[in-house]
Amino acid sequence: MTAAGRPAPVRRRVRLARGPVTIGEAAASVEPRLASAEPYRPDTIADGGTAFGLTVRAASVRGLWKRYTGGPRQDDICLRLHADSGTLIAAVADGVSGAPRSDLGAALAVRYATAAVARFLDRGPGSIDWAAVFEQAAWALVEEHRRASGDGDAGVEEASRLMATTLLVATVSGSDVEVAAVGDSPAFVLAGKEYDALVGEPQRVDGFIGGGVDALPRSAGSVSVARGSLEGGAVLLLCTDGLAMPLAGGTGEVGRTLARELARPPDVVDFARLLDFSRSTYDDDRSLVAVWGSGRP
Amino acid sequence: MKINLPSSLRAGASTGAGTPDPAEPPTTPLVEPVVPPPVAAPAATGAGLWSVEPEVSAGAGGPTTAVVGQVLPMYFVGDESHSMAGDPISAVNQGLIDLRDEVAKHPLIGKKVRFGIITFAETAQTRLELSELSEDLVLPTLSPRGRGTSYASALEALRQTIPADVALLKSGGYQVHRPSVFFLSDGLPTEKAEKWQARLAELKDPSFRERPNILAFGVGEADPEVIGQLASSPRYGFMMASGASTAGAIAEFAASMLNSMVASAERLDRGDHTIEFEKPEGFVQLDAPLV
Repeated sequence: MTAAGRPAPVRRRVRLARGPVTIGEAAASVEPRLASAEPYRPDTIADGGTAFGLTVRAASVRGLWKRYTGGPRQDDICLRLHADSGTLIAAVADGVSGAPRSDLGAALAVRYATAAVARFLDRGPGSIDWAAVFEQAAWALVEEHRRASGDGDAGVEEASRLMATTLLVATVSGSDVEVAAVGDSPAFVLAGKEYDALVGEPQRVDGFIGGGVDALPRSAGSVSVARGSLEGGAVLLLCTDGLAMPLAGGTGEVGRTLARELARPPDVVDFARLLDFSRSTYDDDRSLVAVWGSGRP
Repeated sequence: MKINLPSSLRAGASTGAGTPDPAEPPTTPLVEPVVPPPVAAPAATGAGLWSVEPEVSAGAGGPTTAVVGQVLPMYFVGDESHSMAGDPISAVNQGLIDLRDEVAKHPLIGKKVRFGIITFAETAQTRLELSELSEDLVLPTLSPRGRGTSYASALEALRQTIPADVALLKSGGYQVHRPSVFFLSDGLPTEKAEKWQARLAELKDPSFRERPNILAFGVGEADPEVIGQLASSPRYGFMMASGASTAGAIAEFAASMLNSMVASAERLDRGDHTIEFEKPEGFVQLDAPLV
């Protein structure tokens, strides 16, 4: 009994739930090695909040393989607000693993692309020139390569070998969504349990996975643009193939789990933890930006 | 885990009785198995970091198309003809053991790669069905046999085996990457050129959906031109440098096959590479014309 005569509260130990969320057969457990990339590339980044009536969650997690080898996360994400137009700008990039500085390529691409979109929005509604946005992001990679290599004449091919990355950019204003992509990082509108792919359908050749991927800066000209709507509580998902592969169109366990957990926005850190699920044979970097419209339940 | 192969392809032994065959159609109705409605749980706030709800579909009963993982099938096709006797065949056997042991030590590769062994002399034999490379995997011991060196039989075996293996993996819920073949020979085919070339053309035919990437390696008395024709791309043909020892070259080949497995497994998620491979030490890359 306390001095006030009330029963003492039951003391509960605060315990942290350990380990990843497992979906299906768990992947091997690996003690991550710190990546030594320059500039600093944290293993996991998580962000989120509300703006213009939208709710956003964003995370990028290093894949198990790179945790095992100590390689840097080659995915990246970026969020940006454009106040005058009430627009959320989001970008996701997946550095091509064969390119040694694709981590830097991805980091630059998302930042330059979202800045380029904001500059177009400054000019007024409906004025985004997506080809120019991707051209500017691609050019940032070439410029960085010239700076780092000291070769002022280096071109797109050299920068592609070093920093190739996919790029997916979206604008969300009210319930209106516009997405543009180079490469296989897909965007979906998730309504209930249904995943409706807007861009970035996975490549299939003869029924096999894989078969080449378009990437910046080389493929800056092949931009796919699509529009969608967040009416009726739908969620916009922008991701990299590290998630898209196990998601496999959304019909399996991963799709059901995400649909259930994203019915409402999770807390920011929980969102990152969900994205970092353990599933055997899927060990690539994963990134996901989720946007709930103002009409969400 | 060994994948279940049709009984006609099985060497014998384990039937896997008691474990559900992933290839079998589910007996339960294919209604959406997850029951909890998505909005049923607002009360769960504050109930701990993660509550694990039993998912009704766990295990069997899910839709047959549900994806469970991704795999890269790889085949070693090795010459078991008499000219391989002695150090060369010993080098092959040791290389395979090292390959298995190294893969088994790695926490992530084993699940992503399936490895099969086909050998040939005057006939072809499947010596290892497509399997996971774990430390307890029993490898066959290759030894010289029969007369003759029939490339045709080896190529025909691949033409039969690969589609069956791929179909089985897919029916088990795997996303499958294009298979790769590592073909090693120390001599010339002892059959008519038209015979093996016809089989090769079938295997490489663009209308054959499961056509593999073929990396071809010639050691000993192998003919660079023949090896070059086998490769599915000019950069996939390799010939032992003149003056090198056959057994030494085979050891380098095996090490490169392991490296290729590691690099390919790493980049599996990334669609930009079908197979990763670097020239083994002591080999020259053939700039072979495509057949």
